[in-house]
Amino acid sequence: MIQPQTLLNVADNSGARKLMCIRIIGAGNHRYAHIGDVIVAVIKEAVPNMPLERSEVIRAVIVRTCKELKRENGMIIRYDDNAAVVIDQEGNPKGTRVFGAIARELRQLNFTKIVSLAPEVL
Amino acid sequence: MRASVAAAAVEPSSAARLYGQGRSRKASLLHSCHLKTGLRCGRGAFNPSSPRFPLFLCQRRPDHQNVNGGDTDEMFDELFQKYGKVVYSDSDRKRPTAEADDDAESLSFAVALAKVANEVKAADIRVLFVKPLVYWTRFFIIVTAFSRPQVDAIGSRIRDIAEKQFNKNAAGDTKPNSWTLLDFGDVVVHIFLPQQRAFYNLEEFYGNATPIELPFDTQSPFRK
Repeated sequence: MIQPQTLLNVADNSGARKLMCIRIIGAGNHRYAHIGDVIVAVIKEAVPNMPLERSEVIRAVIVRTCKELKRENGMIIRYDDNAAVVIDQEGNPKGTRVFGAIARELRQLNFTKIVSLAPEVL
Repeated sequence: MRASVAAAAVEPSSAARLYGQGRSRKASLLHSCHLKTGLRCGRGAFNPSSPRFPLFLCQRRPDHQNVNGGDTDEMFDELFQKYGKVVYSDSDRKRPTAEADDDAESLSFAVALAKVANEVKAADIRVLFVKPLVYWTRFFIIVTAFSRPQVDAIGSRIRDIAEKQFNKNAAGDTKPNSWTLLDFGDVVVHIFLPQQRAFYNLEEFYGNATPIELPFDTQSPFRK
């Protein structure tokens, strides 16, 4: 349940540390973004001496949410944090590695690049 | 970073609690046997070898193929004596030979795609058997192209061959990209520009995967 003003962690080594969602892309009238949605976000905190800087506006894919993700077989996945992976306009990740577990729904949503950089897929 | 997985239909940890209990364990063991198929969604939904689900302790499959047919307490007792662990039968799972057949089929598909990429002068072609590392695919093909038109050429050629000869459609990128990914399910093709290939360094990330020998020379005269 990510909406504008939500703070998210960054699950990659792109150099950003905290993001704030400012817009959900393709949501139309929907209020919240979920796993696999692309958001526009602003970097609120960044690692020093990295290409990404504070107050830069970027795109990111949500990879983990505290709000549970339900699967058709009755499985429910809930993470401890809200996290996103920074991508560029073409959809390539800005970082080279993704941290933590991610859901396999991302592959169906055509984010296989993020899935192939992740250490664990649930 | 912890993720909690819960199944509403059946509590999988009930299987773990069976260990060393009295008579009631047989009933619930049966219960978990039958509901196991409902839990799975496709290959590797609950990967028994994953350390995250240590409760599925039995790596070997039971010798009895008729577990679902004649469920008797004696049989479960015997199995329990033999393995000392939770034993379940899985009507969902394929036989090992079927699994090997699938692997061979994917391998021939992957090698065919690599050959096609080689014909379009893709450089540094690597085919990796990543099935032991990730459950969601079997083979990675990593190739380098030197320009976007070449990426486009390799991508469309691979798509054509896959569609015509193997009847498979690719998900993934449709436009040429600095990292173009074609997802055929069991085979995933990565087409990189040289800079991106060095940047993402997928070979290092999947360093433990078995490289597959290719029947042609993959070294590019341009690299190194």
